[in-house]
Amino acid sequence: MNASPSNEPVDVLIIGAGASGAAIAWSLTETRMRILCLEQGDWMVSSQYPTTRKNWEAQQFGAFHVDPNVRGLEADYPVNNTDSPIDVLNFNAVGGSTIGYAAHFPRLHPSDFRVRTLDGVADDWPVTYDDLEPYFVQNDRIMGVSGLAGDPMYPPKQPPLPPLPIGRVGEVVAGGFDRLGWHWWPSDAAILSQPYEGRDKCLNLNPCMSGCSQGAKGSTDITYWPQAIRAGVKLRTRCRVREVTVNEDGMADGVIYYDADGRECVQKAEVVIMACNGVGTPRILLNSKSPQFPDGLANRSGLVGKNLMFHPVALATGVFEERLDTHKGPNGCCILSKEFYETDPDRGFVRGYNMQVTRGAGGPLATAIRGLASGDIPWGPGHHEKFRQRFDHTVQVLAVCEDLPEECNRVTLDPELADSNGIPAPKITYRLSENSKKMLAHGLERGKEVMRAAGAKEILETPLLRPSGWHLLGTARMGTDPDRSVVNAWGRSHDVKNLFIVDGSVFVTAGGVNPTSTIQALALYIGDRIKANLANLFDD
Amino acid sequence: MENATTASACTEGQLQRLSALLDTVLPASEDGTLPSAREIDFLAYLREQAPDFQAELIGILDRFDDNFPDLTLSRRVDLVRDFSGSDAAAFRRLLFRVYDSYYQNDRVCAAIGARPGPPFPNGHSIPAGDLSSLEAVTARGKGYRR
Repeated sequence: MNASPSNEPVDVLIIGAGASGAAIAWSLTETRMRILCLEQGDWMVSSQYPTTRKNWEAQQFGAFHVDPNVRGLEADYPVNNTDSPIDVLNFNAVGGSTIGYAAHFPRLHPSDFRVRTLDGVADDWPVTYDDLEPYFVQNDRIMGVSGLAGDPMYPPKQPPLPPLPIGRVGEVVAGGFDRLGWHWWPSDAAILSQPYEGRDKCLNLNPCMSGCSQGAKGSTDITYWPQAIRAGVKLRTRCRVREVTVNEDGMADGVIYYDADGRECVQKAEVVIMACNGVGTPRILLNSKSPQFPDGLANRSGLVGKNLMFHPVALATGVFEERLDTHKGPNGCCILSKEFYETDPDRGFVRGYNMQVTRGAGGPLATAIRGLASGDIPWGPGHHEKFRQRFDHTVQVLAVCEDLPEECNRVTLDPELADSNGIPAPKITYRLSENSKKMLAHGLERGKEVMRAAGAKEILETPLLRPSGWHLLGTARMGTDPDRSVVNAWGRSHDVKNLFIVDGSVFVTAGGVNPTSTIQALALYIGDRIKANLANLFDD
Repeated sequence: MENATTASACTEGQLQRLSALLDTVLPASEDGTLPSAREIDFLAYLREQAPDFQAELIGILDRFDDNFPDLTLSRRVDLVRDFSGSDAAAFRRLLFRVYDSYYQNDRVCAAIGARPGPPFPNGHSIPAGDLSSLEAVTARGKGYRR
């Protein structure tokens, strides 16, 4: 194995340069430790994002597809989704999935951290909303969050930038919520409504999920990383970690990875931090077998990879007579409703869901292709009439449902499928719980109801959106009991005292909102706990 | 459709079948505002943006008989539907390319109310929207639990 001079040992090795890896790298810079991040992807170049090209839409179905199995780029690893009704989505680059996310940026609610106490299900988190609140604020400031203060569904908070325009589409759907007497609010978004810290404001390009050419969307390659690198953090790209290694004392002592040329390399470190998302992290841990950890690293609880949670999504698409210009404006960030977020036993399920209003199918090609796939817009003589009814006339309301942890839902290593370096691919085994099914059905009906109230002339139903596995949570959960959790209340492995996990794997429950804001707040929180405990970081 | 790699690789019969095939999957709109896909320079699109599809396209064209262009639209639709049933994946790839070329076309974009070309750097303007009804939302009071 290659141990070249460039691979001098470091104090802190972070695996993954996405939402959480970037945040904790930045947080730890003040320690002046030698910090290195290994990222399997490369830097993105904003001038090469699809919206700079004439074929901008087609690229969303190819190199910028949200599904790594479709993209199949060198930076990607395959995912076996065949035993799951939801496909795992991600993006692999500096910035991770913040390159391809919609930047819808709600926080988890206070009740999300106390589900056992409040609703008698799952487990409470070992941290609270109040513990994370200062880190939410810090993260909002660094990512550049736009929003409107005063939402009664949250404790008081003040986004650093005013809200994005909701446009005519927001007005129309808000009218539906108003007629029903339901809550709605402009979405918090990690998208700039005004110039901010050297970045320019949103141009309403629309396809945020294929990278933001303007740099208005807060992806960590343009928010945290420039600051962290200026402060001395090293970031090595196109380096895919195969396993975390341990010494004879059972402490993590580094990683084995493949560099851009496919060479097997060793990187030694005093502390290892996993930041690879709720699928990538258990994949590496399960692949890190040793005599001390025959079932995978940090897995004495047997819970690594288990309790996988998504946010199952049901979708109601309203078709309106009025032209709503839905191919303009951030696709995923308009308005939301928390009317059904908190538990109401009369609904027949516990917990709840966020209603996220998005701007429909997108541009002309996406409208035609998705309409074709769903059977709604035919090819041939009937195409134009149906296309005209749909393009710029459809609005979607997504019921983003809270998934509860179940050990049967899990990430394992596929015995056959592997990435280009021969590392076993993750296999997803997942089924919808009865609670989630009831919630999806409820959310779909309420979505239809609000579309009717808003004046939709026709409503299309998607009871479960298969390509919706952005939110990968729970596979290395935090907790105080080493038998029932993988990491402690500040992300440190119960089994390996110098191994930390900072991504969505540590979520105890999923909440019912997009998790990036909370993932990053947690990473900053864990970073502060590490700094506060530096003198006795590995003690019991 | 002249002066293109595919054009030079195609027989005259294949070119005629291509034209008919494009007109079948996306004929002109009845009101005449939207052109048939046969009026779009599909071969130029292939050359510039999808050269890898050219060989497959020729294979698809050869699935249709020489008299395909002479048939009625209704009959051509039936034959294309047969093709889509026999090789759905190939048909989806064909439609993707046809749609992609079609909806990049300036005339088409203008007719459907979309600005031709990439969204960046000009972007779009959208109205801020009316937030006044949020007063009623806030008046209902705190809605979260601790």
